[in-house]
Amino acid sequence: MAKYLIKRIARSVLTLAIILTIVFILLRQMPIEGYFQNFDKLTEVQIQVGLEEMGLTDPMPVQVFNFFKNLLKGDLGVSRIYRANVPVTEVLKDKIPVSIKLGSAAMAVSLLLGLPMGILMANFKGKFFDKMGTVFIIFIQAVPAAVYYLFIQLYGTKLLGTSLLFNQNDFKAWILPVLSMSLGNIAYYGMWIRRYMVDESTKDYVRLAQAKGLPKRKIMFRHVFRNAFVPLAQYIPTAFLNTVIGSIYIESLYSIPGMGGLLVQVIQKSDNTMVQGIVLLYACVGVIGLLLGDILMVVLDPRISFGKKAGGR
Amino acid sequence: MSTPINNGEVILSVRDLQVKFDLRGRILGAIREVSLDIYKGETIAIVGESGSGKSVFTKTFMGLLDANGKITGGSILYDGKDLAKFKNEKEWLGIRGREIAMIMQDPMTSLNPLKTIGQQIAEAVTLHRGLKGAEAKKAALQHLADVGITDPERRYDQYPHEFSGGMRQRVVIAIAIACRPKILICDEPTTALDVTIQAQILELIAGLREKYDLTVVFITHDLGVVAHVADRVAVMYAGDIIELGKTDEIFYDPKHPYTWALLASLPQLGERGEELFTIKGTPPSLFVKIHGDAFAPRNPQALKIDFVERPPYFEVTPTHKARTWLLDPRAPKVDPPPFLKLLHEKGGALK
Repeated sequence: MAKYLIKRIARSVLTLAIILTIVFILLRQMPIEGYFQNFDKLTEVQIQVGLEEMGLTDPMPVQVFNFFKNLLKGDLGVSRIYRANVPVTEVLKDKIPVSIKLGSAAMAVSLLLGLPMGILMANFKGKFFDKMGTVFIIFIQAVPAAVYYLFIQLYGTKLLGTSLLFNQNDFKAWILPVLSMSLGNIAYYGMWIRRYMVDESTKDYVRLAQAKGLPKRKIMFRHVFRNAFVPLAQYIPTAFLNTVIGSIYIESLYSIPGMGGLLVQVIQKSDNTMVQGIVLLYACVGVIGLLLGDILMVVLDPRISFGKKAGGR
Repeated sequence: MSTPINNGEVILSVRDLQVKFDLRGRILGAIREVSLDIYKGETIAIVGESGSGKSVFTKTFMGLLDANGKITGGSILYDGKDLAKFKNEKEWLGIRGREIAMIMQDPMTSLNPLKTIGQQIAEAVTLHRGLKGAEAKKAALQHLADVGITDPERRYDQYPHEFSGGMRQRVVIAIAIACRPKILICDEPTTALDVTIQAQILELIAGLREKYDLTVVFITHDLGVVAHVADRVAVMYAGDIIELGKTDEIFYDPKHPYTWALLASLPQLGERGEELFTIKGTPPSLFVKIHGDAFAPRNPQALKIDFVERPPYFEVTPTHKARTWLLDPRAPKVDPPPFLKLLHEKGGALK
């Protein structure tokens, strides 16, 4: 297992390195305005000196090498425009915690509501609860999120008596954004766990469990749910890490000081180092999510072996 | 092979059982008033082609019909209770596994892929014998050894995918045995296995029958298997048992034209260079009510009355009866196909 893990992690690191190199080189092709806050007022000579100071006149391989060297020290460079001369890590440090808190809460809510909903729907397949669940899922999937986000904000704030804007220290202010963020995933988890469980229920091993004399409730939990959960599990780490990135729409709707929208802002301002830092974060999240998803699958499903083909047959 | 049926005690008695399926509003009569007594300790084989209702018939003993299937008449008496009247799961839980257990056709899919072999056997042990933890494990190990799995200690913690098909079927059997049932239903337990493994599994089941004093119901379409294991044979066609008798009686003195045809299609009886015998036509649609003998349309020698009235059972011997008008004293004499005689001569090869 350890050997497989090391291999798998090494491959992830390599993937990341390739992505970062490409992004780095691409960003070097951007106009050099993105490195100066007051580009228009600078003279040719000042610009040249500035570029040299930042090491941007070095040959490309040297620049890439320096980038990785600084990266290993945890130095992502300095923001030039968005918040001039503040280290990129500093900017992100302020934003990430809010997004993570919000995202984790939303994630927990969607799992805690979505999974039971799907389990109950599968259990009462074709009955009233299943039909109501399906209506809910179709509604969430068919109506653009923006519509019910606004609806929730408008009527929810009235109902709860909270302000339209977010306040980190007020518990009640968390409810609506978290709820809005969860709805989509509740529908997603509900739909898939129901579908996988319905699929699993027709399998022979369920019949055998029935023939053994196991009550339906136990069959559903011990046998069907566990099997149905495996294909979903792979997606969960990625979903969780995506919360780091934040939800652009919801964060702007409630003016939440999180990560959402930050990338758009720094691209608009062509703050090259910031763009680079955020893309780095996104790439990490993506790659780590996939890695954790794979590991989770291996942990949950004994048929998926570590690397080598399973023996025994 | 012992035949305890003459002085035997009836363990399960089915009377006029009717099962219907609702297929999107169309009603399919899968079992048409079938009666059968199963004797304690015997091995009875139910043979018939696909769709003849042999699986559905035995599923009613355990309340395992699909949701759209329903018992619409008749009774299944077991231990003083009428299983056909059972309504809720709780009643069935007293029967399933504990009294009647089942082995299914495909060992590759009958086990939960995410649980160890040991867990799955121990689950049955805990459920029916109340043993927990180390005790349950001990019992499960015992059962693994029972079904001929070597090195049970190591195998206990392995997953189904680490077992071959034959080994998995042994595990499925171990699970069934772990419930300590009185009746074991084997639903085509060897169909998915290759021939060498088949024989081993049949032997294993026969051995366990002795050891645990089981009554075995074998569902199969493989007459070779029947000859090998069964004391008695029930031949099913279109949701009805059309002939029932001791194995020898069915093989060497069959009375129903369908049984003739079934035996004639044994490849063992084919002559080299000749085409193998096949039964022409297809089984009748069970969506419409069947009049007369269900096999009549495929029977070239069918009598007129075969199309009009359902034949009753005619007794050939006290242990042998068949549902065919040919046995009526007024019927013209129709001889069984001559090549069935070959079965007498070649019969040994079947066993």
